[in-house]
Amino acid sequence: MTLGILGPEVSWYLAVAAFLFATGALGVLLRRSPLIVLLSLEIMLNGANLALIAFARHNGSGAGQIFALAVMAVAASEVVVGLGLIVAISRRHLDLDVDKLRTLRG
Amino acid sequence: MIVAAWICLSSPLAAALAIALAGSRISRRGAGYLATASVFASFVAACVAFFALWGDAPHDRSHYSTVWTWLELGSFSAGLRILVDPLSTMMMLIVSGVGALIVGYSVGYMDGDDEERRYFAYMAIFVFSMLLLVQSGNLLLLLAGWGLVGLSSYLLIGFWQERPSAIAAAKKAFVMNAFGDATFALALFLLIQHTRSLDFDTVFARAPGLSSNHWLVNLVALGLLGGAVAKSAQLPLQTWLPDAMEGPTPVSALIHAATMVTAGVYLIVRTHPLFELAPKVEDLAAGLGAATLLLAGLIALVQTDIKRVIAYSTMSQIGYMFLGAGLGAYANGMFHLMTHAFFKALLFMAAGLVIHALAGEQDIRKMGGLRGLLPRTYWAFLVGALALVGLPPFAGFFSKDSILAAAMHDGWYGYLLWVGGLAGTFLTGLYTFRMLFVVFGGEPSPFVREHLIRPRRRGEAHHGEGPFSMTSTVAILAVLSLIGGWIQFAPLWIPVTHWLDVVAPTLPHAEATSWQEGISSALAVGLGLAGLVAAWLVYSRRRVAVPRLPFAQRALEHKFYFDEAYDLVFYRPGVATARLFGRIVEGLVVGGSIVGLGRGVGDAARGVARAQTGLLRTYALAIAGSLAVLVVVFISVR
Repeated sequence: MTLGILGPEVSWYLAVAAFLFATGALGVLLRRSPLIVLLSLEIMLNGANLALIAFARHNGSGAGQIFALAVMAVAASEVVVGLGLIVAISRRHLDLDVDKLRTLRG
Repeated sequence: MIVAAWICLSSPLAAALAIALAGSRISRRGAGYLATASVFASFVAACVAFFALWGDAPHDRSHYSTVWTWLELGSFSAGLRILVDPLSTMMMLIVSGVGALIVGYSVGYMDGDDEERRYFAYMAIFVFSMLLLVQSGNLLLLLAGWGLVGLSSYLLIGFWQERPSAIAAAKKAFVMNAFGDATFALALFLLIQHTRSLDFDTVFARAPGLSSNHWLVNLVALGLLGGAVAKSAQLPLQTWLPDAMEGPTPVSALIHAATMVTAGVYLIVRTHPLFELAPKVEDLAAGLGAATLLLAGLIALVQTDIKRVIAYSTMSQIGYMFLGAGLGAYANGMFHLMTHAFFKALLFMAAGLVIHALAGEQDIRKMGGLRGLLPRTYWAFLVGALALVGLPPFAGFFSKDSILAAAMHDGWYGYLLWVGGLAGTFLTGLYTFRMLFVVFGGEPSPFVREHLIRPRRRGEAHHGEGPFSMTSTVAILAVLSLIGGWIQFAPLWIPVTHWLDVVAPTLPHAEATSWQEGISSALAVGLGLAGLVAAWLVYSRRRVAVPRLPFAQRALEHKFYFDEAYDLVFYRPGVATARLFGRIVEGLVVGGSIVGLGRGVGDAARGVARAQTGLLRTYALAIAGSLAVLVVVFISVR
């Protein structure tokens, strides 16, 4: 696979991907608004996408890019469901706060 | 002849099934008549078989008939197989003949009882079981009949099931009999293992080949003896019989006097080739018989229940039969079995007439002076009593004395048994006539006045001495007790011995000479008379006071503490062990483990539930944390 890669080394891409993933994960863990949590999830997914594409370029195969497209499609549908849930919650006049939505407590 | 034997066997069973299936469509009386008719039909069939067998040549008098092979295991097979031979026809005649009389008597005795149909169905089942026992052609079927008579005895003792004492007595009888059944079955297992068969002819043909194995033959004979001892209420399994008197009086007469309890004697005589291989066990059987006859005679002296006195005399008389059978005088034992069936059934049924007339009272201390009030019952009872004591010309005289004479040959052991048997005749005279004088002699007691004389004076319709069905059967048995013994008068004529000779020949050392017969008879009659006179002096003339021996009296009233000993040795430790295991195993191990399991699952679930916070962030953290751990693991492991 000596197809010369234009641009920086693959590790730089991976570093950015890891940073994005970590940012998203922290957002999921720390924020209380479900909207922001969803947003952070998207950031995590995009971090993963970046890593996939970087590896695809590095290996010179297109499979990783197809994966990234599939992840985007899944992410889009996930956002639809997630936003639908948030609308349903706000319609019932519940607080938009993930810490207060704890009816599943054992 | 074979057909007659099968009819004899199946007719009571058919009657029992018919009564059970017909339910209330058949009247109570009808059930009684049906049962009586079926047993009488059995008797007629038995007579036919008997005369047909008589026509055969003496050496050709064993006929087997198999209708169905029941069990086939390799070389072993057992079938529904009956045997018609002199011994079984003799027992068939006794069982069905005396049985028919007693079932007929019950029609009057049980009249008005709420559950007459059940009673007669049970009676018919009993007669069927007993006939199966005596007619079976292999030991397996004999064991089946053995168990069935135990069952029907249980049902009939506990017939008045609302009485707790009757239920307890039934259970006691069943458990004691089950013990005998178990030893019997163990003996059969040994026989199957070593002779590969349970058919009488095969087993007896192959048995002598086992005689070199002393352990084996002794164990087999001991097992059979255990069964016989339990069924016949001999020492040390005798305690169930007196309690069995809780059943209706005809039941006592049929099962606990005339037929079932004599099954042990029949078993010994039937399997005598096996016993002859184990002479020690035979001696043991004779010794147990002698011990039982003395013990039972002593206990009978202090009993106050009229039926219990007769029950103890039954044990005592079966002791004589065991003595005869154990010594090898099989024909004498069987002959005594026959005469005993007559006079003991007579005594029980005459006692039943007394009980019937006194509205169910059985305590002889409340009776007295019945002689003038129930004269015919008195005469019947007197005949039975004289036959029991063995005074000539009554039946017991002929049969009992020849058993004693047979004992005289057998060395010092035989003489010991002989002395025991003679002492038994004195006791027999004493307790029998004590009962007779107390019940019938003297002036009418207050209780009798109230129940018999006053109603008669007031002209209330009292049924005299009893309905016809009762008095007529008692009369027939009285005649049999009077003349039944004349069939055999050793040593002058001995047809019973000849009849049984092909099945169970008397052993040579039990053959009595006429000198021995004479001296035994003279001594036995003398001692019996002495007992009678003693009873007369003490209980009728009251010349001699009852000697005061508080210790002996207490021992006798407690029946030599057998019940107490069994209670202490078996019942209490059993109950204590059961309680202990109930507390430890059931309470702690079984119950505790179940409760602990439930509690443990609950605790675990509560712990796991605590992990379910419902907080989204904890879930996310858990996922992220475990992912991080996995990553670290994967990187470092590689």
